[in-house]
Amino acid sequence: MSRALALVLLLVAPLVPLSQAGIDRLAGAQREQEEVLYLWSGEHVKRLVPGFESLAADIYWLRTVQYFGGRRRFVGDKRFELLRPLIDITTALDPRLEIAYRYGAIFLSEPPPAGAGRPREGVLVLEKGTRALPNAWRLRQDLGFFHYLFLGDAPTAARILLEAAQIPGAAFWLRTLSADLVARGGDRAASRRMWSQMLEQAEEGMIRDNARVRLQILDSLDLRDALVRGVLEFERLYGRRPGRLEELVAAGLWRGPLVDVGGFPFGYDAGTGRVFIQEASPMWRPE
Amino acid sequence: MGRGLSRALAVAANTFRETVRERVLYNLVFFAILMTLAGLLLGQLSIRQDEKILKDIGLAAMDLFGVLIAVFIGTGLVSKEIERRSLYPLLAKPLSRAEFFLGKFAGLAFTLFVNLSVMLLGLLFTLGATGRRPDAGLLTAVYPLFLGLLLVVAFAMLFSTLTSSTLAVVLTVGVVVVGRFADVIRGMREVLPGVPQQLTRVLFAVVPNFANFDFKSQVAYGEAVSAGILAWVTLYAAAWTLIVLGLGLASFRSRDFQ
Repeated sequence: MSRALALVLLLVAPLVPLSQAGIDRLAGAQREQEEVLYLWSGEHVKRLVPGFESLAADIYWLRTVQYFGGRRRFVGDKRFELLRPLIDITTALDPRLEIAYRYGAIFLSEPPPAGAGRPREGVLVLEKGTRALPNAWRLRQDLGFFHYLFLGDAPTAARILLEAAQIPGAAFWLRTLSADLVARGGDRAASRRMWSQMLEQAEEGMIRDNARVRLQILDSLDLRDALVRGVLEFERLYGRRPGRLEELVAAGLWRGPLVDVGGFPFGYDAGTGRVFIQEASPMWRPE
Repeated sequence: MGRGLSRALAVAANTFRETVRERVLYNLVFFAILMTLAGLLLGQLSIRQDEKILKDIGLAAMDLFGVLIAVFIGTGLVSKEIERRSLYPLLAKPLSRAEFFLGKFAGLAFTLFVNLSVMLLGLLFTLGATGRRPDAGLLTAVYPLFLGLLLVVAFAMLFSTLTSSTLAVVLTVGVVVVGRFADVIRGMREVLPGVPQQLTRVLFAVVPNFANFDFKSQVAYGEAVSAGILAWVTLYAAAWTLIVLGLGLASFRSRDFQ
């Protein structure tokens, strides 16, 4: 290669990333969105890649994790309307990709900003998964969990957990959890058991992180309830509600900081005696 | 018979050397880079699906590169010899057209075998290097893949005896694509109930079902492919390949090179 040609190549080469950055800056977001929207149906995508469906599913799965993975470039601009089609396309291409159903269901169901806040769609994704993988007890277990945790439907959750328990290899405690739901209609302890199981079963990553946060939220709710009891005790002792939560500490009714597990101070309404997790806290979820 | 075989093997060896000289095996360098990058990146990206995705990428690359080599080299095996007029002195020697034709087929088959073997070793190495158990079950996906490639070569050679190499490429790619959609033909009546059942049966029978050679997804999930099904696939491939090679040979024999 002549020296002049090498020089030209060296000068031109940086223009490629430079122009790409310019294109991304001006059209990046739209282009990424359109890319998925063009291929809305999983069945259509499947027909485009005969013999390479599994690889195409991997590519869509990686796109999904990139979009919603939370640690990468799309973190500031999560467009949850894309999540369901991405999951549908991925699972149409590879119906056995169990992680895609579980992942999709969680982030469809979680309320904003963590998820799309569409728990019924999350349940539909899991139902699709249980039809594709009838022997996957964890998927059916998740379906039961979601009916309880996100839809508050304890009887359906109990029935599905019992179905999951009958699948060969299923965990023994599914039966007792199902019985508890039937007997008590569900409570925070049941939620804690479910999220603990999800934490234990999930590999390191988004699903595990989410379960960890959910358990911290339950801990925060326990703390809040203890504070409410403290407020009631204060009222019983002094004949009035405390003006601020700090008065509980001064009265010896509370030890330790008045913050939730995320480190945010609890909110307090002296008028009603209501203690609450503040919306700014990562522990806050709509009730 | 013995001399005929040795002459065919000589053509095969020459064909193998020729393909190597044409830098066909350069795709292995690309494969090595692909596997290395995939191995490095997937662990972070894929949420514990890296082993499955590595296998998917490796097997898909073997399939894709294999088909490309089979089509583009396969269609040129005979037609190039004709275009370069190097066929005439060959046929003037004590070498039958059958020995030439089958020797060419065997040579490219060996190239594909070497290509797939090296890629398989590369995939096993990548799995091992990323802390995964090298899976001998991958062989049960690669073997039928190889059988499918032999059939592609047979088609490529058949078409190259009938028409120009460019058109032969188009026709071979067409057969491969249609063959991968063979299930659509079988299920045609589900969307077009008016189509006579006999027609769909005949169409399905005359199109090679390339989906029969595809066990990539099963193997990537660690599922076993039974010896029974592999035996049937072998028989299917042998039958189709012999038929197509036979047709190609008949066409080649009937050509007038004067």
